[in-house]
Amino acid sequence: MGMIPPAIFALYFLKLKRQPLEVPSTYLWHRVIEDLHVNSLWQRLRKSLLLLLQLLVIALVILALLRPGWQGQSLEGRRFIFLIDNSASMSATDTKTGITRLEDAKSRVAALIDQFELGMSAMIISFAEQPNVVQEFTNNRRLLREALERIEPSAGLTDLTGALELADGFANPGRVTVDDAAGEFEVTEQQDVELYVFSDGKFRGVEGFSLGNLQPLFLPIGTFEAQNLAITALNTRRGEERPEHQQAFIQVANFSDQTQTAIVELYLNERLLDAARLEVAADSTSSTTFNLGVEVEGILRAKLDIPSDFGDRLSIDNEAYAIVESRRDARVLLVTPGNMALESALSTERAKRLAKVEKVSPEVLQKDEFLKQSQEETYDLIIFDQCQPKTMPLANTVFVGRIPPTNEWTQGTKKEPVYGPQIIDWQRSHPLLNLLELGNVQIIDAQTVKPPLGGRVLIDSTKGPIFSIAPRGRYEDAVLSFEIVGTDEQGQRTYNTDWPRKYSFPSFWLNVLGYFSNTGGTSSLHNKPEKLVELRMNSQTEKFEVELPDGSRRELRIDTPGRLSFHETGQLGVYKVWEGGKLVKQFAVNLFDRAESDIRLRVRQEDEDGVKVVDSLSIGYVDVSAQSLSSPVRRELWKLLLVGALVVLVLEWYIYNRRVYI
Amino acid sequence: MAKVSETPLLSPELLAQLERLELVTRKIFRGRMKGERRSKHKGQSVEFADFRNYVPGDDLRLLDWNLYARLDKLIIKLFLEEEDLHFYTLIDASMSMDFGSPTKLEYAKQLAAALGFVGLIRADRVRIETLAQGPGERSPILRGRQSVWRMLQHVESIQSGETISLAEGVKNFCLRNAGRGVVVFISDLMDKEGYETALKYFVSHQVDCFVIHVLSQEELEPEVKGDLKLVDCEDQDVAEITVSVPLLNRYQKTLDSFVKGAQDFCSRRGIHYLMANNQLPVEELVASHLRRRGLVR
Repeated sequence: MGMIPPAIFALYFLKLKRQPLEVPSTYLWHRVIEDLHVNSLWQRLRKSLLLLLQLLVIALVILALLRPGWQGQSLEGRRFIFLIDNSASMSATDTKTGITRLEDAKSRVAALIDQFELGMSAMIISFAEQPNVVQEFTNNRRLLREALERIEPSAGLTDLTGALELADGFANPGRVTVDDAAGEFEVTEQQDVELYVFSDGKFRGVEGFSLGNLQPLFLPIGTFEAQNLAITALNTRRGEERPEHQQAFIQVANFSDQTQTAIVELYLNERLLDAARLEVAADSTSSTTFNLGVEVEGILRAKLDIPSDFGDRLSIDNEAYAIVESRRDARVLLVTPGNMALESALSTERAKRLAKVEKVSPEVLQKDEFLKQSQEETYDLIIFDQCQPKTMPLANTVFVGRIPPTNEWTQGTKKEPVYGPQIIDWQRSHPLLNLLELGNVQIIDAQTVKPPLGGRVLIDSTKGPIFSIAPRGRYEDAVLSFEIVGTDEQGQRTYNTDWPRKYSFPSFWLNVLGYFSNTGGTSSLHNKPEKLVELRMNSQTEKFEVELPDGSRRELRIDTPGRLSFHETGQLGVYKVWEGGKLVKQFAVNLFDRAESDIRLRVRQEDEDGVKVVDSLSIGYVDVSAQSLSSPVRRELWKLLLVGALVVLVLEWYIYNRRVYI
Repeated sequence: MAKVSETPLLSPELLAQLERLELVTRKIFRGRMKGERRSKHKGQSVEFADFRNYVPGDDLRLLDWNLYARLDKLIIKLFLEEEDLHFYTLIDASMSMDFGSPTKLEYAKQLAAALGFVGLIRADRVRIETLAQGPGERSPILRGRQSVWRMLQHVESIQSGETISLAEGVKNFCLRNAGRGVVVFISDLMDKEGYETALKYFVSHQVDCFVIHVLSQEELEPEVKGDLKLVDCEDQDVAEITVSVPLLNRYQKTLDSFVKGAQDFCSRRGIHYLMANNQLPVEELVASHLRRRGLVR
């Protein structure tokens, strides 16, 4: 190949086989040639223009054959899915140009879309807590770009699973395998789909997912050095020594390599309440407690004031909100013939903070005074232990070892007790069973209890459900169908279960107090962005308005009275629930997620040169290694070069034929 | 190579046009025979010129007898003599003239015939020669309208292929023809040794000289392309060119300076110069251009 240019050069110096042409006289021509010889160098250059052009053509062809390429992002394939992470950590501004990671990802996708060739189609899915199909498969670049613009940063956590499932569904439409006697047949033709994941990888891998036709490509966005200080907790509670005093607990985490000092400012209803200087060691947390005083009420806002020399790259986690409500002690009535375990569980320090528990014996149930009280909403919760009232009171109830005296409950309950039920499952997500381990609880006998319509089984055993909960108008009834202590035939007190000896027992009752007492309602719980928030409302109204932190309002109709579910919690801050112009409830949504706040890219290893490598993404059994930050694929140039050679060739032909000099 | 031109040298229309013309010269030459031109010599005509005393030997018929009777002196009455004009046409019949369409030679022959015809009908002595004729070879001298046919035949018989330099040819011509008169030299002047020497012979020979420089369209605006080896048809000289726009421009310049040079050379020496493109019809050339130059009237 390299011999061609010298060969052309040599050919050029060979005697040109000129076409002879007889002319009357060469007299004039000789004089012309002599004239031209005078300014020969330039002439010679111009004369050898064709030679130069030929050499150029050959050079281009040779260059094309050498397949020059550069590292660039290119699209190989026909169908693409772009997964764009828009979780909270993607708002970090640690890119080179100072734009957010999300903007960086968007510009990269835009660059890829620009490279689209004929026959390529793509879809865009943004994902944080929930996946969102921004644009379905299309080959329309304009649509794709517009869709890209629509992606907004969110404050959500990262969950790739949903996005992957969505992508899988779109990538393999109608992927049906027919299970025939002869084997499995793929119904639709398999088509490979390139899956580009633009993320900072701040999440654990996805388990139990098969990629199928998806060809994943992980493009990490962000840097290893991004520093961040974040508020990871803001709680209010009663003081240990003086329960009438409210306290705010703030935890600050430092996600950087150096110890950093920051000032935490605490505002109550936008009034500066207090501030504290916190020194947070590298990669650790530090916390402080503020005294709020007595009878405080309103919105608590904690703000992190970070020195400017610290490059805090993520700002949304520098603020946290909490709602402080003036607490009316919940009133709880325990009706029991005597139950040491239950009584002690309800009289712990924390239980005292949650509710005021009164204890009466079952005989009271017959009294008119109780009947009157029970119809007046005097109590928030009435616990019936080994007894039951004649009529259901106007209060939340928990039945222990008995069934509520209503048709709905009694219908689903077998009269005969079952012996030795083993707990096989319980609803861990339900607030009543939050953080409980019940697998080790032994029960001697129990009744199976099937909740009426609208209720849920919370604990399931080998013999049937043994703990259920069901709504009753505004109230809820929880039924624990086995006794904790009972009386045998001889009238002796016997333990029916070893539950009181387990850690889960007092926790369960704390949960009960927290769940049923209004004060311990969901407003004090941590609401995560983009997660469903469930509120228990006291009124029967079906129409509510929720004011988002940015001031916009959403009208809400609720189907189940007393329960308000709100899912549009993408923003961080305080949400207000209005009922006919009256503020009835507030709740705060905070990030409080260490994984999202730690915006440094995960490092897999540092090789000998100290070059950090981004940890790979594990999807199912596949490890999707991170593509290098800027350039995943080689770009080819040879097509352009050949076109260039062709152009030069045409130019040469033109010059040769038209005798034109430029 | 006998080349018979399809077109007659002189068309009837041209003849009709030429009949009205006559050859002109600024100089008055001594003729051989009585013709239609005023001569330097006194002679017999109807136009009185002068008187002079009789000297012995004069023709007694010229005596003015009336004056002798009155003055008793012998006085001779002189009349203006009318003589013919020597009109030579010298055709360059070299190989280089055999190019173009019509060939330059044909064009030259046509021109020579036309001018010769004009001379013949005005009773001038017309002689048409070519360069290659040796000092001894003379073309017939034609005179009078009856010789037109002979002249045409003679012109027809001129063939290209002569290989003699311009200077040599002109020198021979001058040696052959002592008589002074009007010389029309039709050539392309393409001689590598230059045309200057040749033209100088004319000057020294004291003739009224017209140079008609015939160039073909191919020479004026060459339509060539590509890489060429140009071969000179006369001496097989070779010039290698690669045709390009600058080269053509350069050629045009050279041609212009060549024509201009010839023109300057001629005008400085009292030679009439006329550049003729072979695409220009002979009729127009004779009737318009030569008339303006003063060769014909």
